[in-house]
Amino acid sequence: MKLTVNGASHEHRGAGSADALLEELGAQKEHTALMVNGTVVPAADWAATTLKTDDAIEMLVFVGGG
Amino acid sequence: MADVLNIGGQELGSRLLLGTGKFSSTQAMIEAVKASGTELVTVALRRFNRAQAEDDLYGPLAELENVRLMPNTSGAINAKEAIRAALLGRELSKSPFVKLEIHPNPHHLLPDPIETYEAAIELVKQDFLVLPYIPADPVLAKRLEDVGCAAVMPLGAAIGTGKGLSTAEMIKIIIRDSNVPVIVDAGLRAPSEAACALEMGCDAVLVNSAIAAAENPAAMGAAFKTGVEAGRAALRAGLMSTSEVAIASSPLTSFLSSDD
Repeated sequence: MKLTVNGASHEHRGAGSADALLEELGAQKEHTALMVNGTVVPAADWAATTLKTDDAIEMLVFVGGG
Repeated sequence: MADVLNIGGQELGSRLLLGTGKFSSTQAMIEAVKASGTELVTVALRRFNRAQAEDDLYGPLAELENVRLMPNTSGAINAKEAIRAALLGRELSKSPFVKLEIHPNPHHLLPDPIETYEAAIELVKQDFLVLPYIPADPVLAKRLEDVGCAAVMPLGAAIGTGKGLSTAEMIKIIIRDSNVPVIVDAGLRAPSEAACALEMGCDAVLVNSAIAAAENPAAMGAAFKTGVEAGRAALRAGLMSTSEVAIASSPLTSFLSSDD
């Protein structure tokens, strides 16, 4: 399934849930915040969130900042 | 009575807030945070990058005791983006604090007051403790207090410039009129400036570059801790009034050579 992840094209080969995408990309789940098509998706909902072709996913982590 | 800083009902034992950007390493940042005694640090959100997993601060910061997180909205250039960033930051941090910063121009990084005001209204509705980074504008500060911001954070000088309290006169007006904590954010370079801010009546300072870019960040963190404590203690001690004429502190009569 073709997705856009953090602005880049990505071919997802997993089960199609948000959870599966994070796992596929090697993101540490408790360190990552997720947005699907502009909407923040709480971690508790990831397993039940079904992604669709052309969805735009943003995966964010904390970095240093003032 | 303990002199705690109360921001929207959340009590902090330190009046020094620290930014976590620009450090040479995560270890240097952690050491500076510890040395500074801060209980509230800012963090930014960026896209996950598997190749730069060491930039992820979630783990190192989670290990710090008695330090809470305040995600910022840096990178946002309008209210909509800032609100989104705040929601993402809360999702990760589980913290009520958000440093609301919207600066659309990378050349001066000055805050957009209109977008900041609009975002603040929405974030307050969504139960954030909103700490907006703002120009040192007393009217804007009051408007942000009126819509429910937990504190206001006027800039001392532009971010990263180290030009100190260049807006001191405006900050004094903000302090005089404010019923929420006033926190100088950005521009400070030296602990003496932090002391000065606290002596003026600022409730706290937020420092990043001055500590991160110091030759020894941990030592500078400790120096800022001392500066903030000295400034606060001086305010509480009550500074003497100033005078246009000299007033001797030693007796001027009955000296050895005097004839009287």
